[in-house]
Amino acid sequence: MTGIEPYENAFDSVPGAHPYPRTSRYHDAEIGIHRQADGTEVRYTKRRLLPPLPALDDDQETQQHTVAAGDRPDLLAQRYFGDPGQWWQIADANPVLDPRELTDEAGRVVDIPSAGGFPRGDRRV
Amino acid sequence: MFDMPVGQGPVHITLQMGPQLVRPVPAEVTEALLSAQITATAGERSGFQLAFDMTKNGIISRRLLPEGFFDPKTRLVVTVTVKGTTEVLFDGLVVRQEVGASNQPGHSTLTVTGEDLTLLMDLEERTARYPNLPPSERVLAILRRYSDYGIRPDVYTEKVAQPPHQDLRVHYQTGTDLQYVTELAHANGYTFYLEPGPTPGQSSARWGPEVRLGIRQHALNVNLDANSTVDQLTFAYDGTAREEPQARWQDPDTRLSTLLPQPPISPLRPPLGKRPTPALKRRTLSGTAKQQRGQAEAELLARAAISADVVSGSGSLDVNRHGYILQPRQLVGVRGAGRAYDGDYYVKSVTHNLRPGSFQQNFTLSREGLEARSDYVRP
Repeated sequence: MTGIEPYENAFDSVPGAHPYPRTSRYHDAEIGIHRQADGTEVRYTKRRLLPPLPALDDDQETQQHTVAAGDRPDLLAQRYFGDPGQWWQIADANPVLDPRELTDEAGRVVDIPSAGGFPRGDRRV
Repeated sequence: MFDMPVGQGPVHITLQMGPQLVRPVPAEVTEALLSAQITATAGERSGFQLAFDMTKNGIISRRLLPEGFFDPKTRLVVTVTVKGTTEVLFDGLVVRQEVGASNQPGHSTLTVTGEDLTLLMDLEERTARYPNLPPSERVLAILRRYSDYGIRPDVYTEKVAQPPHQDLRVHYQTGTDLQYVTELAHANGYTFYLEPGPTPGQSSARWGPEVRLGIRQHALNVNLDANSTVDQLTFAYDGTAREEPQARWQDPDTRLSTLLPQPPISPLRPPLGKRPTPALKRRTLSGTAKQQRGQAEAELLARAAISADVVSGSGSLDVNRHGYILQPRQLVGVRGAGRAYDGDYYVKSVTHNLRPGSFQQNFTLSREGLEARSDYVRP
């Protein structure tokens, strides 16, 4: 159970006090501080680890899409989420190293996260 | 893209209901949703009103309504996904339902009204004594009773320390928990509200100063031709809104009463405008003479801070055009309103209006003076 925060912290955990907007895939990533030899602090985004993928039989969270000729990850994101910048959510759901692999071959079945889905990060907003 | 209805375009709405733990509602209920109106205000209780289409032999009128699916005290969580980014808009309880049966087919509606989870704290009156507990610990002790609804306390120590003294005074609670917590918040210049999220079924109860620092939300653009995101924005500047409270305090040892010095309110409310408005009114607070000194100082600070906001703005925006949901109780920048009214504002309240095909937000903004402090607004 959380305790009482000192007054000075009241403005620290400001909602949205994060360099990445809510739409970004780095929004939930942790911010680290590197101290250089001369004492200056450099902020950096820590490596982002994918949350564990849902079990295969659990088809509640994803829907299937069969890749057709001419599909691109950003076109799929526009079609399913309404924003081409959200292609990374599809790449997260089918772990691939290069997002272009997703739509290289026509006929491949791609998992699309449900558009009304919930954020998986546990960072406070 | 923007002509697409809610549910197929960039906006998706998810309803979850249940007695205490919530589950997604049947698909027929989501399809029957006609409109949803959700209001969230800083320092006040949030509310919602959902209207459902009640067809004669539909699942709502035949099964769900008689079986108590929409009964009072049913918990309801509304989640909205805009462009793949999910936001919990509301977490609350059903209070009231209305059925409008109509002779015209397709015009019968079920309207469900409710309030947020602070309603739980307002149900039962309680008398309790809190010996030797400062205000923040009293609040924490109260909030801990509600953790089984996923309410996590987010409590900060008071700005003016008020060391409790059992021999001098024991603080008593009469009335409901919500009344007492809100009263303690007002006495310290703080606000108390429940912030739903970040995941459905959770909410944090903030008892602390209003969030007036940090990264601003995406700016509201008005009068910028094609780049405008706000339909209309009205500003009002009320010179008499700000008052300077005065408090006298009597020393119990010497019986001398002294006028307490005016405290600076900027630690509680970092200024947003460049030109703060002078206080035209002067008011004397009653009853501060017999309080403890810390309590009297806190009340003086709280009154000065609460009345500081003289500039208020109100307007409406279309979420599809803006691209983001405007969140209440945070800062936002305004561009295009002219030199006097541009700059950062605190979002006091937001009303979300959802219906198939549109997502509109009405909002009110406030700050304490004219002109922006910085020459940069986060886009």
